Amino acid sequence: MPQRNDDVTRRRFLRDGLWGACLAGIGGVAGFAAHKGQKVDWLWQIDPYKCTACGNCATHCVLEESAVKCTHVYGICGYCEICFGFFDPEPFDIHEGAENQMCPTGAILRKFVEEPYYEYTIDRPLCNGCGKCVKGCNAFGNGSLFLQVHHDRCENCNQCAIAAACPAQAFRRVPADQPYLLKSVDHV
Amino acid sequence: MVRPRPILVALAALLVVGVAALGLERFPPPEFETDYVRPTTTAPNPPQGVWEYVDAGVLAVTLVLATVLVLRTRNRKLIFTLMLFCLAYFGFFRDGCVCPIGAIQNVTLTAFDPGYAIPLAVLIFFALPLVFTLFFGRVFCGAVCPLGAIQDAVLIHPVRVPRWLESGLRLIAYLYLGAGVLFAAMGAMFIICRYDPFVGFFRLSGNWEILVFGGCLLLIGMFVGRPYCRFLCPYGVILRQLSRLSRWRVTITPTDCIQCRLCEDACPFGAIRKPTEPWPDKEYKVARRRLAFLLVLLPVLIGAGGWGGYELRQWLALVHPEVRLAQRIYLEENALVEGTTDASDAFRALGRSSDELYAAATQLRDRFGLGGTLLGAFVGCVIGGKLLTLSVKRRRADYEPDPASCLACGRCYAYCPKEHERLKRGREGLIRH
Amino acid sequence: MNEPSVAYRTVRTTAKVAGTFTVLFLVLLVGNLIGTTVIGPLREDRLAAMKVALRGGDPTDEQLAEIRQLDLQIRRNRVWRLDFAHKTGHALLASVVVLLVAGRLMRVLNRRPPQPQNALDVGAEQLREARVSRWAVTAGLVVLGGGAAMLVMVGAPLAFVAAEETGPAYASREDKRLQWHRFRGPDGAGVSIFTNIPTEWDGATGKGILWKAAVPLPGNNSPIIWNDRVFLSGATEQKQEVYCYDADLGRLLWTGDVPISPAAAQARIDPMEDTGYAASTMATDGKRVYAIFVTGDIAAFDFNGRRLWYKSLGVPDNAYGYASSLETHQDRVIVQYDQGHGDEDVSRLYALDGASGRVVWEVKRDVPNSWTSPVVVEIEGRLQLLTLTDPWALANDPADGAEIWRADCLGGDVAPSAIYAGGLVLAIEPYSHMVAIKPTGQGDVTKTHIAWTMDEGGPDVCCPVSDGQYAYLLESHGLIMCCRLADGEKVYEHDLRDNFTASPSLAGGRLYFLGMDGVMTIAEAGPEYKELGKNELGEKCHASPAFVDGRIYIRGLENLYCIGGAVAGDRAD
Repeated sequence: MPQRNDDVTRRRFLRDGLWGACLAGIGGVAGFAAHKGQKVDWLWQIDPYKCTACGNCATHCVLEESAVKCTHVYGICGYCEICFGFFDPEPFDIHEGAENQMCPTGAILRKFVEEPYYEYTIDRPLCNGCGKCVKGCNAFGNGSLFLQVHHDRCENCNQCAIAAACPAQAFRRVPADQPYLLKSVDHV
Repeated sequence: MVRPRPILVALAALLVVGVAALGLERFPPPEFETDYVRPTTTAPNPPQGVWEYVDAGVLAVTLVLATVLVLRTRNRKLIFTLMLFCLAYFGFFRDGCVCPIGAIQNVTLTAFDPGYAIPLAVLIFFALPLVFTLFFGRVFCGAVCPLGAIQDAVLIHPVRVPRWLESGLRLIAYLYLGAGVLFAAMGAMFIICRYDPFVGFFRLSGNWEILVFGGCLLLIGMFVGRPYCRFLCPYGVILRQLSRLSRWRVTITPTDCIQCRLCEDACPFGAIRKPTEPWPDKEYKVARRRLAFLLVLLPVLIGAGGWGGYELRQWLALVHPEVRLAQRIYLEENALVEGTTDASDAFRALGRSSDELYAAATQLRDRFGLGGTLLGAFVGCVIGGKLLTLSVKRRRADYEPDPASCLACGRCYAYCPKEHERLKRGREGLIRH
Repeated sequence: MNEPSVAYRTVRTTAKVAGTFTVLFLVLLVGNLIGTTVIGPLREDRLAAMKVALRGGDPTDEQLAEIRQLDLQIRRNRVWRLDFAHKTGHALLASVVVLLVAGRLMRVLNRRPPQPQNALDVGAEQLREARVSRWAVTAGLVVLGGGAAMLVMVGAPLAFVAAEETGPAYASREDKRLQWHRFRGPDGAGVSIFTNIPTEWDGATGKGILWKAAVPLPGNNSPIIWNDRVFLSGATEQKQEVYCYDADLGRLLWTGDVPISPAAAQARIDPMEDTGYAASTMATDGKRVYAIFVTGDIAAFDFNGRRLWYKSLGVPDNAYGYASSLETHQDRVIVQYDQGHGDEDVSRLYALDGASGRVVWEVKRDVPNSWTSPVVVEIEGRLQLLTLTDPWALANDPADGAEIWRADCLGGDVAPSAIYAGGLVLAIEPYSHMVAIKPTGQGDVTKTHIAWTMDEGGPDVCCPVSDGQYAYLLESHGLIMCCRLADGEKVYEHDLRDNFTASPSLAGGRLYFLGMDGVMTIAEAGPEYKELGKNELGEKCHASPAFVDGRIYIRGLENLYCIGGAVAGDRAD
C-alpha cells in the first residue's frame, strides 16, 4: 500500500511537470506568434501583372457568384473605339449589339466621349469575373481591365479556393489596410 | 447574412503617363479636347476589422460559459443550447472561418514564412481553446466548436463503434495534422481549410464535391457520433493530449461511483471506460514481455517512419504548385508531353527562366525531404505510442470518461442515480429557502 | 406492445413530411446544378455558333433579333438559377432543422430507460478489446507502410533537372558562326565560313540535289538552319505558319501556327505582291525560333514546334509591307519595327525576351518605314546592333538599346541591310550611293567617321557582300559592282543579264548569285570577274540561299531544296 502511494505521487509529479511544460509550450508558441503578429487581418488579392485571365476565378470561388470582378483603371485605358475587351475578337459589326459583345453578362458599358474615344465602365453587379474582357484587353490593348477580389463579397476564407486553383499563382495575401493591387500607369 | 455594409471608397488612379515596361503602350491614353474628366477607379472596402475581435471576445465568453455548464451546472440542456448558439454564431453567422482547427496552419506559416504574420485574432482562436483544455478538458469541443456542433445536432440514433475500429481510424487524424502542418510550413497550401467538410453548409454555398463529402459525413453522423471530431480533426489530436493532463475534468457521477452500470451505454462517442480488473497471472508475464518489445519497437518505428517519409519526398513535393509547375515545364521543354497548360502558359508570360524555376523547385524538394522525414517520424511515433498505450492497464475503480476522448457533451450526467440525488438536494435546498 | 401516443404520432408525421421536403429540395438543387453545368454551356455553345455564323454574310434583322433574344435568355436564366439556388438552399436548411427537431423529439418520447450492457467477464473483455485494437493499429501501420512502399516503388513523376549548370539558355556567338541562324547567316554578312560548299547541281536531272520538299504556304523569306533543322515561314491573308524541316531528309517535322491578331485582320493588310505576307526571315538563338509576319504578329516556338508565345506589335504602317528580318542576341529577339512617315512616333527598335515575349527594352526612333534588317556584330570587342533607316545609319548597344553612334547618310526607301567588313560599316542608299562608316565613334559621327562615299549608284534590294578586301554589290537587274574597301574605288562592273532579289553570298572564296529564274551564277571573288559556272534549279527563286557545312538550302516559290551531300560535315552539337 505505501508503495502504491509512492507510485501515485510520482505519477502526479510527472503529470504536473508535463502540464507545466504544455502550458509553457502554448505560452511560448503564442508569445512567438504574437511578437510577430499583426493587428490587421490578411485578405486575398490578385496580382494583376501575374494574372492570365484563365477563367478559374469565375468557377472556383466558394460563392455561387465569384467575389472576383473586373476592375478598370481609366488612366491606362486607350479609350479605343474598337476595344477588344468589349467586342468579340472578330466583331461582325462595330455596334453594341449582343452579337458583337465579348462579355457574357453584358457587364461592360460603353459611352461615347468625343471622336474617336469611348469610355468603358464595368457594371459591377453584373460582372462574374470570367476574365474574357481582361484577356482581350491584355492581348490587344493597354491592359487597363484586370481582375481583383472585391472585398464586399469575399468571404476571406483562410485558404482561398481560387488561389489553390490559380495556374499563375497570382493570388497572394495582402494586409487589410491595403486591400487592392491596382495596376498603375508607371508600373516597372 | 448580416454584414456591415462596405463603404465604396474611391482609389485614385495615378494619371502619370509613362512607358509601361510590361506589355506595350499600344494606344497612348488620349488627351481629351472636351471637358471630359476620367472617372476614378472605385472598389468596395473590406468589412471593418473589428469583427475578428468580436469573435475572439465571443469565443472567450462562450468558453467560460461552457466550462461552468460542463463542470458546475452539469446540465445537458444548457450545454446543448450553448452549442446551438455557437453553431449559429461561429458557423452560420460568421461563416465558420477562421476556426481554431485551421489556425494551426496560420501559426505554422508564421513560424516558417518571414513574409507572413499571424493576425492576433487568429492567434487568440488558436491558443484560447488549448489553454482551456489544459485546465478543464475538452469543453471547447463540447459546446463551442461549430464543426462539432453541426455533427452533434444531427446525431439522432447513435450506434456503438467498436474500440478497435476507433483506434485504427484515429490514425487518420494524426496523419492529417502532420500533413496540415507540413504543407503549411512549406507554403504549399492550407489543406485543412481546403477540405473543411462543413464550411460549405455554413455559407450555404461551396464546391459541390466538398458539399457532398460534408453531406456524407453528416449522414454518417446521424448514427456515428461526431465522425469528423473522432477520426479526422487535427486540432482534436492536440486537444486529446492536453486533455489527458487537464486539472479539472468531466466525471459521470458528481460524488462517488456506485458501480450501478447504468451509464455504460450513455456515451455516443465511446469515451466511457469501465473499472478495470487486475491482470490474470499468466497474462501479466506476456504483457510485460510485450511491453518490453514495444518499447524497443518505438525507436525502430520512428526511424522507419522517418526513412519512409524521406523516400516519399518526391510525392509530397508535388503538393506544392511551384514543384508541379517545374515538373510540367520540364516535360514540355523535353517534348515529353503535348501541348501546354494554363500554368505553363502563365509561367512563360512572366518570363522567368526555367533554370530559376528548377532551382526553386529543387530547393523545395530538398526541404520536403526534411519535412517528410519529420512527418514520417511523427507518424511512426504515434503508431508506436498507440501500441504502447494499448498494452498498459490503467487502474480504474469507477466508471469514468477517458479524458482524451471525452467531448464534454454532458449526455452521461442524466444516467447517474447520484446525479439525480444531487439535483433533488438542490431543488430541496431551493424549496427550503 | 401498446399504441404510440398521439404526440409521438404527430412528431413522426412531421418528421416524414420534413424528410420528404428535404429530399425534394435536394433533388431541386441537384437539378439546378445540372442545369448550370450542363444545359447552360450547351446554350452558350449555341450562341457562340450563331455568332460565328454571322461573320460570313449579311445577316437579316431576324437573325440578329434571334441572337439577342438567346443572349438575353442566357443572362436571365443565369440570374434566375443563382436566385433559385439561394432560396432552395435556405429552404433545405429549414426543412433539415425541422427534420432534426422531430427526430430528436421522437427519441425523447420513445426514450428507454438506461440499460447496462450484458455483463460479461469484464477483465477478459478488456484484454480482448486491447488486443484487437493493437491489431487494428498494426493494420493501420501496414496500410500506411504498404501505401508508402508502393508510392516509392512507382516513383514520383518528378524529374526536373536540378539547378546544376545547364549552361546558358541560348547559343553563344561562336556556336552561331557554324550555323545559319538568321537572314544571310552570322552577322547578316552573307558569308559562310565553310569552304566545302557545292558548286555543281542541276534541277532538271536532280544531280547534286539531296532533297526537295514542298512548302505549304508562300513566302519570300529565306531558310535558316540550326544543326539538323531548317526553318522558314509562309503566309497568306488568312494564315501564318512556321515550318520546320529535317535538314538531312527534307521531311516536314512540324508546322506552327501564328494567329492573326484581330487588329491586323481588321486592318486588311494588303502588301505589295513582291513583298508578300511572309517577307521577314526567321531567326533562332539555338533554343527557340522566332518568326514575324507582315501583320506585325511575332511568335516564338521551341525546336519541338510548341508555340511559346505570340503577340502583336501593332499593325505596321508600311508602304510596301513590313519586311525586316529578325536577329537574336543572347536569349532575346531583336525587331526593327520602322513604320509610318517619320513624324508620328511609331517606329521602334525592340528587344523581346525569347522565353516570354516581354519587351526587355525598346527604343523610339523618329524614322519612317524601312525594309532593312538589324545585325548584331562585334566591333573591337564590343557588340553593336546596326540598323539602317532614312536618314540614319544607327548603332545601338544590344544589351540595353542605348545608342552608340548615328550617321546621317541615307535617304528614300532603304532596303539593303548593313554589313560590317574590313573595319567598316557599309550602308547603301538605293540608286544613289554607298557609304563606309568607321564604327568607333560616339553620338553623331556624320562629319567625323565617314571613311568614304561611293556615289555611282547602289542596289535597290540586294545587300552587299564582302571578302574583307572588296565589297560586291548586286543590282536587281543584274549589274555587279566591285569596290575596294580601303577607299571605295570601283574595281570592276559586270552585267549578269538576269533579275535578282536574292542577295549575293560568299563561300570558300566563291561568289554565289541566285537569279530570279533559279539560275545560280558562281564566280571567283577578287579584283576581276571570273565566272566558274552556272547551275539551273528549274524553279523561280526570290529568297536568299542559306549555306552550312557542305550544303546550300534554296527556297523556290513552291519548294525548298537542299543541295549537297547526304552526310553533312562535323556538326557542331
